[in-house]
Amino acid sequence: MNSSELNQTQARYFFLGVTAWPKTIIAIGLILIIGFASFIPTLEKDTRADAFIPPDHPALLFRDKVEDIFGLQDPMVIALVNEGEAGIFNPHSLEVVEWLTRRLETVDNIDPERITSLATENDIIGTEDGMLVEPFFETPPRTQAAANAVRTAVMDFPLYVGSLVSRDGTGTLIVAELDDQTNAQQVYEELLQIVEQAPVQEGEQLYVAGEGAVAGYMGAYIDADAFRLNPIAGLVITLVCFVAFRTLRGTLIPNLVVAATAVSALGLMAAAGVSFFVITNALPVVLIGIAVADSIHILSQYYEEVALHPDDTPRDVTVRTMLHMWRPVTLTSLTTMAGFLGLYFASMMPPMQYFGLFAMIGVGVAWVYSLTVVPAVLSLLRLKPSRAYSIQAGENSSRVDGFGRVLDVLGRAVVRAPRRILLVAVTLIVIGGIGASKIQLDETLIRVFHHEEPLHIADSTLNRVFDGTHYLDIMIETPEPEDLFKPEHLQRIEALQRWLEIQPHVNGTTSIVDYLKQMNKALHEDSKEAYRLPEDPDLVAQYFLLYSASGDPTDFQEEVDYDYQLANVRARLDDGRYSVEKVVIEAAQQYIDDEFNAPGIKAYLSGRVNVDYHWIKRLGESHVVSVAISLLLVWLMATVSFRSAVAGTIALLPVVTTILTIYAVMGFSGIWLSIGTSMFAAISIGLGVDFSIHTIERLQSLLRDTRLSVDEAILKLYPSTGRALLFNFAALALGFGVLTTSKVVVLHEFGVLVAVAIATSFLSSMTVLPALVKVFKPGFLWQENAATSTAIPQTQTTN
Amino acid sequence: MKTLTRHTRKGLITVLILAISPATNTLQAADWPTGDEIAQRINARDEGEAVSRNLTMEMIDRRGKKRVRETRGFRKYYGDEKRSVIFYQQPKNVKDTAFMTYDYPQADVDDDQWLYLPAMRKVRRISASDRGDYFLGTDFTYEDIKLESKVSIADYTRKTTGEDEVDGHHCYVVEALPVDDETAKELGYSRVEQCVDDAIWMVRRSRFWDTRGKLLKTIHTRGIRQVQGIWTQHHLEVENHKTSHRTVFTFSEVDYVKGVHDGVFTQKAIRRGL
Repeated sequence: MNSSELNQTQARYFFLGVTAWPKTIIAIGLILIIGFASFIPTLEKDTRADAFIPPDHPALLFRDKVEDIFGLQDPMVIALVNEGEAGIFNPHSLEVVEWLTRRLETVDNIDPERITSLATENDIIGTEDGMLVEPFFETPPRTQAAANAVRTAVMDFPLYVGSLVSRDGTGTLIVAELDDQTNAQQVYEELLQIVEQAPVQEGEQLYVAGEGAVAGYMGAYIDADAFRLNPIAGLVITLVCFVAFRTLRGTLIPNLVVAATAVSALGLMAAAGVSFFVITNALPVVLIGIAVADSIHILSQYYEEVALHPDDTPRDVTVRTMLHMWRPVTLTSLTTMAGFLGLYFASMMPPMQYFGLFAMIGVGVAWVYSLTVVPAVLSLLRLKPSRAYSIQAGENSSRVDGFGRVLDVLGRAVVRAPRRILLVAVTLIVIGGIGASKIQLDETLIRVFHHEEPLHIADSTLNRVFDGTHYLDIMIETPEPEDLFKPEHLQRIEALQRWLEIQPHVNGTTSIVDYLKQMNKALHEDSKEAYRLPEDPDLVAQYFLLYSASGDPTDFQEEVDYDYQLANVRARLDDGRYSVEKVVIEAAQQYIDDEFNAPGIKAYLSGRVNVDYHWIKRLGESHVVSVAISLLLVWLMATVSFRSAVAGTIALLPVVTTILTIYAVMGFSGIWLSIGTSMFAAISIGLGVDFSIHTIERLQSLLRDTRLSVDEAILKLYPSTGRALLFNFAALALGFGVLTTSKVVVLHEFGVLVAVAIATSFLSSMTVLPALVKVFKPGFLWQENAATSTAIPQTQTTN
Repeated sequence: MKTLTRHTRKGLITVLILAISPATNTLQAADWPTGDEIAQRINARDEGEAVSRNLTMEMIDRRGKKRVRETRGFRKYYGDEKRSVIFYQQPKNVKDTAFMTYDYPQADVDDDQWLYLPAMRKVRRISASDRGDYFLGTDFTYEDIKLESKVSIADYTRKTTGEDEVDGHHCYVVEALPVDDETAKELGYSRVEQCVDDAIWMVRRSRFWDTRGKLLKTIHTRGIRQVQGIWTQHHLEVENHKTSHRTVFTFSEVDYVKGVHDGVFTQKAIRRGL
């Protein structure tokens, strides 16, 4: 008895066992589903932008440190935009600013002392004998002339221009800091209501934005998305199964496996204390599509068996079905898991790692249920043929429906022109290679939201009208307290700011230098020439003392630390794309190394822009690594299973063609390699190879065991395995297709790419692979000692 | 963590108050002096017509970083008008900086303030501060500084709410509420709770709530002893519970007797320095 026979014997005992106590197996299966489900309510959402970066990443730790030193917060922002002639400097718009400011003061969780707007801020005015610190207006101006005076005053205060007020005067911000950041969503909703009630008139537009708002709103946004996606996915899968089998059991059994898979993945995630991230929304949908595949193949075989042997006992039919299918089902589950494992190993981003890990676990659960609960259920059911599989009298083959016939036509085409098909494949591979070289790595977090979402619109408007909402912070460090009073250090910071301001997309910068210049000017009778740094370190110290005569003790905390040793320079960018950030960050680091750093003073990059740069940079690397790992794992598995490296390679070829085809699409149409699209490849490899495996498995069986000629085998492949693969493909493609309806853009892109990849994999497994077999006639397909023997002794269970 | 400890502390205080108040309220309320009586007693206390003293200001931010300034100050009453001046002595880079204020009793007249910056060699008039503005980077407001150890009768209505002990001294707890919203906004407080030592009629501890009713800060007065027959506070500690910023004032060489020359309160004098 050789090893393959041994395997089959063991498998037979296993399935005989499973079908001996079907009710127990089903009960255990159901209890486990309920058990996993009980954890799900404890899932916690993590919608922070920071969730995409490992919590111990140096860039993140440093950013947190800088935020702590300078007390930086992610505030809520309301923007008032009036693109009329006078901009927002007219009595009515300023009245709106006043109204909003007063209303915000009453919002719970907003600190009234930490609201910044034209209605709260002071002007520093130089007079002949001194300096006045006065609000821009006590009560909103009543006349246009008075509003013009406010405009003149504000525009003469460089610190506010571009940040609090747009450079052209068409917009102004009301910025509010929160007592407690964790309630951002509630505050965001309250702000939306306030904005709704605001007494705006024609020409005035209000927008609510801010990173606080983003994090808050994201929670509700992905919830809504999940409530839309999952039912659609379930429905679609049910429909596919119904069309495939046209029986109740054929529709319900796959759904049972689907439920177990999705519920166990999420339940285990909750039990492990892993958060639900934005992209986790795709997990149940993806698993629904994948989990159903095993059942589809098993049921296809089952109905063929039923059609061939309608008089057998249900248990015999079931065991025979399982003996045919356990190997390909196991193998395809393993390769799919390998794809997800590649994602888990290669990605440095926790959301993707966990996506890979728990998707892998889910696929494992689907495999276990398919090999236990599914046969248990089938063995209990009276045999009832599917109308999709009716018997052809006298022939040892089943006759199939229209779907099978369509595939039959495809089979004939392959047999006729295998070389032409291979030529097309080679061309695609070449074009794909060229396309791959053109792919651009890019991402911006606001893209999570659909471009018609109010938050997305607000973000675009703010970045268009104002200096920008993307902050690059540069921390300046000196060795001793009060070192920053030294004029040479201040001048160095000033030079850094001037340099930053000429970088692309950097529209403005702020530092302690700007405040010192403003004070210097005010103390020199407001003369324009005095808008410069004082040259005496003692004067710098005294200016700070002077300011404190009416300022808050914490007034400069965002610009300089308490003993004047550390300073923060904030640059505002109007574009959060990686490609933009990369240029600025790399140039800034160069400038810091070559020009800025000197004995006694050093600069370090920080802020959201720097953090984003660091993790998105890794997105490209991790994509390549995950593809490599997945390809390797899948190849190894196929090679080991078929005991042939040639087989492993042939199995991979359709997948490689697929991935390269998608690269071509991405490269030539300018789709970014981004959060969503970087995940497609590893998953597509794991899923796409399944089509190859089923195809090879079947061809091997037909060629070696049934001793058909190559052409006969190929033609026979299509109506049976081909048909099953068609529905496997349909379930997967439609499952991922459901993601294309997601309003989370990242998931939408991910869904599109995987769906296209699956379609391509299916097609190339049905064309390229048989064409390869026909042209090259690889020897492993006829090898007698292969472990894949499906030479099953006619199973006759007796009971 | 920060907010947690704050909540815990708040919780503890609530528990303490709850534990004390039922007994005191019912049994002794009748014996307590009224809030107004207490306020009058406080304000009747002698503060000396003029005083000279050294003041060390320590300001500590939430990260524990400290700014220390040593000053010499003078204060004198001219009827209801009060003049004061502070000369900075340390650190070196602000030495000889001087800050002078004339507080006028009329509510509708803005106070006058001047600052002398030695590095500019010029006296600069600076705009009058609002009562609720912070004083020279400390956690005291201008109103807190102006009142010194007194209380404002006109701004608040008060009620005695209990008894307590601060640093081993028996105190009446007086709750003061601003007379109207306008005043509350000006002062920056919606409620003040003062523990008043009824042996010497000085406030030993005050707690302030901001305009939204959140606990804002606590001022703790320590080192109260007689100087030349006048009860004098030598140690003031303020903690802002919202920003975790703290200020410690330490007075020394307090002298009510020597007298303060009128010429100290002139622009010429602050330019000349000590």
